[in-house]
Amino acid sequence: MNVYLKNILRFCIIVSLQVLILNKITLRWWSEPSGFPVFIPYIYPLFILLLPFETPVWALLVSGFVLGATVDSFGNTAGMHACATVLIAYLRTNVLSALLPRNLSEYSGLQPSTKNMGWMPFLVYSAFLIILHHLLFFSVELWNLSNIGQLLLKTAASAATSMLFIIVYLLLFTKQDNSRF
Amino acid sequence: MRNFIFFIRRFFNLILFLTLEVMCIVMIERTNTLQGNDIVSSANAVSGLVYKKQNDVVYYFGLRRMNDSLQNENARLRQIIEQYRSLDTLSDSLVKTKTQVGDTAKHIVRYAEYVYRTARVINNSVNATDNFITINRGSRHGIGKNMAVLSGSGVVGRVEHVSANYSSILSVLSAKQRVSARLKNIANGFVVWEGKNPRVLTMIDVPQQVEVKKGDSVFTNSYSLYFPPEVLIGTVIKTEPIKKNAMQHIYLKSSTDFANLQYVYVVENKMRQEKTQLEDSSIKK
Repeated sequence: MNVYLKNILRFCIIVSLQVLILNKITLRWWSEPSGFPVFIPYIYPLFILLLPFETPVWALLVSGFVLGATVDSFGNTAGMHACATVLIAYLRTNVLSALLPRNLSEYSGLQPSTKNMGWMPFLVYSAFLIILHHLLFFSVELWNLSNIGQLLLKTAASAATSMLFIIVYLLLFTKQDNSRF
Repeated sequence: MRNFIFFIRRFFNLILFLTLEVMCIVMIERTNTLQGNDIVSSANAVSGLVYKKQNDVVYYFGLRRMNDSLQNENARLRQIIEQYRSLDTLSDSLVKTKTQVGDTAKHIVRYAEYVYRTARVINNSVNATDNFITINRGSRHGIGKNMAVLSGSGVVGRVEHVSANYSSILSVLSAKQRVSARLKNIANGFVVWEGKNPRVLTMIDVPQQVEVKKGDSVFTNSYSLYFPPEVLIGTVIKTEPIKKNAMQHIYLKSSTDFANLQYVYVVENKMRQEKTQLEDSSIKK
């Protein structure tokens, strides 16, 4: 499949997963009795994480902005998601070149995935960027440092759940290598 | 000049990054201060339509719960009608005697100050710092900015963005919103949300000497520009005295279950413009 078509399709799938299903999950069954803040997982940054290796930085930034603004328009958050997504789109290239053994230009035609990078490097790469994204998003959302404990708690809880959902997504949507059978 | 172009080419990515971030911050800032931009809100045509389609699917799963809440509301309304009926017969006899003495009641013009419109909730959230609700009514149906929104059981919020067919409501579960409230005719204050539990609201600015019991009801008062008076906000769970200013925080269980909203009423206050004009003109003097 054409790489542009594939990514546009993935954009639609991930945004609708986020907006129509995950935004509606309010994990209240165990947050209700104590004063634990209500949170939801955000998996939509996965679209930025999965763009091909040779995507230029300006394209990453623009697609990050469009992705964030789309999620913003559904959640009435006006720029908060876009702000966080543009940051991780900017840092993605640096993180990748720090984690990968070879130069980024040698991976032409490939995209970051568990198959191309291995599970551990991919999880480190995605966890780092997801935590950064959540930290920026929640600090912009709460916008005061007086309850920094709640900010960190919300970030940690949300990032952990997001990673869980991202692993599930990867297990579901990665093409399995069936040649051994 | 050549150096300038070279500089831009070298730092193009950084410049683009900073430009986009500044754009985001401007967008966030605009929603915090002005009445908000309508394009990046769930009231726009595209996201409104998506939410409408989704709600058409999941709507049926909530019918039973909605039926129960409508039953409860009907029962409450019937009870109120009964109260008024007994009151009317009493006042009729009073009026009869009064008209003979002198017609003082003639100047009172009866008007419907509030217009109620029903709407279906097509999107809802309780997890953010400022929570929004999207409904399937817009300016085409007579919805305007700043109208109050109530559910069958109590206060919900205030209309923030309006498009032709959809509008989004800033719910009471928001750091930006405070509702002026009344506790048993003895104390007035404000109800705010502290941003943790979507069922718990906080009433502030109540003096410590006011005695509050668990289970007391808190209603909206007539000071509010948006909300009609005597709408239930919540019932008292516990109180907490604040030492530094001799006030107390009263924690309320909200009467509306924000996580399970199906239908809301949008309330238009016909007298609001007149009231704000009068108040503004008296401030200027």
